[in-house]
Amino acid sequence: MAPEIFTYKNPSPNLFVTNGLLSGKKVLIQPNMSARGWLCDAGSKALKGFVALEDATVIMRIKKEGANLMGSSRMSELSFGLAGDTATQILSSGEADIALITDTMGEARMAAADRGMLGFKPSYGIVSRFGLIGLVPSMECYGIVGKRLEDIIDTLTVISGKDETDPSMPDKGFPDYTDVRKPLKTACTAGVVKDCLDILQEAEQKTFGIELKRLEEMGLTIKEVNFSDFDLFRVVHNIIASVEASSSADKYDGVRYGHRSSSGKNWNEMYLNFRGESFGPLIKPFLFQGAYFQFENYPAFENACRNRHRLVQAMTHLLGQVDLLVFPTRRLDHDAEKANTINRIYDAFLWTLPANVTGQPSLHLPSRALHSEVDVGIQLVGPRLGDPWLLSIGLKLLSTTQGGRIA
Amino acid sequence: MKYEPVIGLEIHVQLNSATKMFCDCPNRPGDEPNRNTCPICLWLPGALPKLSREALQKATLACLALNCTIQQESGFDQKVYYYPDLPKGFQLSQHHKPLARNGWVDIVGEDGRSKRLRIHHIHMEEDVAKLVHEMEGKTPISLVDFNRAGTPLIEIVSEADMRSPDEAMEYVKTLRNQLRYTGSAECSLELGTLRVDANISLRPLGTDEFNTKVEVKNMNSIRNVGDAIAYEITRQTHCLDKGESIVLHTRLWDPEKRMTSPMRSKFSGPCIPDPSVSRIVVSQEWLKEIQGRLPEMPAQKTERFLKVYGLTPEEASNMSLERDLSDFFEAVVKQDISPRKVAGWITTYLIPILRDRNQTMRETFLTPDRFSQLLSMLDKDMINAQSAKEVLLQLLSSDETIEEIVKKGQFQQVSDTTELETVIDRIISEHPSDVEDFRKGNTKVIGFLMGLAMKASQGKANPKLLKEILTKRLDSIVP
Repeated sequence: MAPEIFTYKNPSPNLFVTNGLLSGKKVLIQPNMSARGWLCDAGSKALKGFVALEDATVIMRIKKEGANLMGSSRMSELSFGLAGDTATQILSSGEADIALITDTMGEARMAAADRGMLGFKPSYGIVSRFGLIGLVPSMECYGIVGKRLEDIIDTLTVISGKDETDPSMPDKGFPDYTDVRKPLKTACTAGVVKDCLDILQEAEQKTFGIELKRLEEMGLTIKEVNFSDFDLFRVVHNIIASVEASSSADKYDGVRYGHRSSSGKNWNEMYLNFRGESFGPLIKPFLFQGAYFQFENYPAFENACRNRHRLVQAMTHLLGQVDLLVFPTRRLDHDAEKANTINRIYDAFLWTLPANVTGQPSLHLPSRALHSEVDVGIQLVGPRLGDPWLLSIGLKLLSTTQGGRIA
Repeated sequence: MKYEPVIGLEIHVQLNSATKMFCDCPNRPGDEPNRNTCPICLWLPGALPKLSREALQKATLACLALNCTIQQESGFDQKVYYYPDLPKGFQLSQHHKPLARNGWVDIVGEDGRSKRLRIHHIHMEEDVAKLVHEMEGKTPISLVDFNRAGTPLIEIVSEADMRSPDEAMEYVKTLRNQLRYTGSAECSLELGTLRVDANISLRPLGTDEFNTKVEVKNMNSIRNVGDAIAYEITRQTHCLDKGESIVLHTRLWDPEKRMTSPMRSKFSGPCIPDPSVSRIVVSQEWLKEIQGRLPEMPAQKTERFLKVYGLTPEEASNMSLERDLSDFFEAVVKQDISPRKVAGWITTYLIPILRDRNQTMRETFLTPDRFSQLLSMLDKDMINAQSAKEVLLQLLSSDETIEEIVKKGQFQQVSDTTELETVIDRIISEHPSDVEDFRKGNTKVIGFLMGLAMKASQGKANPKLLKEILTKRLDSIVP
């Protein structure tokens, strides 16, 4: 028997809201997004049996706009990486049109890239995290994956916007999506980071080069830029994310919900046994690593925070020279779904995680290179809160090539 | 060797905001267990903390009352430790960027001179849940009550400026009075809304280094704070005299045995900035608004009472210790009653009565109007002092008007000369030997006869008139 691809399958998804922006759209979520009455175990034994008491803000908003909530996919444990995630499999089968995938280091964009779909990570802070059973609060957000950019735009329009229950959102400056579909008139310069090109393999360089040429044909000016600190993104993400993960996972103790260990003479032993037995082989070393920085090497964490600040400044500086940056999305020799160590996960998400470190919006478009087996994807990274503009560019590129359609 | 104690206090004060610090649950820890809880203060998956504006305002007001500088930017950190009273694994506290720094309070030292004690900083933090240990039959069980989880606290960290148990007690008293003035906190050691941890170390007299300190917790009254510190000074002195070294640890004060004993210290970990709680950025406008809410503080008030009302320093200080009381005092004085008389009556009668009844002014029926009516009746000889005390008791517990109380209890002063003459004639005729003594020149007899006459009038006679009549009668008997 094939393994179950849903964590929870909604028996009655139709809400009969006919005039909503998402009316009739089939939306799939992950089991770390709180939906009232649904099993929300975030893919972990640590949350075994946890049923959400209320809807996340995002879920409330998409319900209100008439989406049919199909259910929740299976997901990687606590949304770290993509191992075991079934969202795009369900999308491919046609059981859903849009999937929400937690994007902590590029999961939504990567999942899309692996299946030739579109994936979008919004700017940090424009979508409420209330009800998201998170792991890395300062980097994660709801990513949107689908086959049509129109669907992604509609979904983002619905879920983004101020929510009083998430205090980490800015007070103002929320993007306005009214003009997203109007044709862009101004010329646009896309930066390619030279320090990244140097890392690409020959085959990757070739296919990425073809894609850049096509972008040029579509009217984008391509400019090579330097980002000498690019290799810091990976280590900064790794340290900060593991420390935040360690804190976030502190609350799992197997008392009120989750797997209850059968052994242990006192609460301390029960707690230790619970954690030993609950966490899987990928998340456990990540939590250990975070605890190491918390307890044994705090200066390294502080250093990472300072470097993060520098990276944000460097990005802002770069985006003063060009309008957006272009990266590949995936790497040929590093399969994100099969990555089975922390290092391999970080190898796989190398091109996507910078946007999580800086909180910028990022759009993955499938590439249509000559060798279809050598698809590295195209990832556009725009200025923070420039989400509508970035999506306009995406619409323009897609309409030029395929009349808005993906094969 | 002679040692000098070096004492610093860390004081936790529970703010009396209507809600908890990061959610809308009522801030009432004493309610039926686990009644005031929600996904946020239970820290269920998906919940996000949202800082209460009221808690921030009250904390700021408290910091201003203790002369601190509010920091333009402050933020919350995750103070990691693992214990069942904190299931989320970290306490939200301001470790790296506290709300306020550099404050002070002035106390009156043992030598009667004013001494300024500095405050290092004040930060906000959430309280943790309460563990209740019980027996279920023969099995010991531990229960967790989340009513207290997430209630707003401020922690006031002093500099190690105190040198004696007395100074520490004065510091706590002064700080408590100033905080109560702001209306931000109740500050009761007995009820646990003010908790004192004392850090104590000794050093040879005349030196100025800081030595290893010992922390003492669990003092539930100001007196206990002094006693615990005194005990710890003696204990450490003995250790040092025996050549033992002091080890950094925490001790628990036992109020019954009146001694401290070492406790198992909680594992305490690192503090990382919390990514979800908003940073606090204070604008000058907002700060000005909060400063505007700061009432006149006790020291300023004492000064004013001295000047404006001509009270003695002691009276002025007594009348400004508590805000409710000083407001009451001023309201009564406004009704044209002599300030010193008001202060005298409040100190001598009202405060002891309230203390006996374990009540605050607000819990009684006494209002400034009613109190001033009482004092003016006294002024006009409508009642005498003895009756006034009785009337005061009834003014506290009944909502009847003073006129009704006086009438019902027949407290009116008897100034009817005929009635008093009758009483005195009777007393004189019943005590011929005393009258004889008086005739022989023993004037003390007047006092004795006055007492009898007063008693016969059930304490209601106008004493001045009574004495006048008695003296006249006795004089007329003397040949």
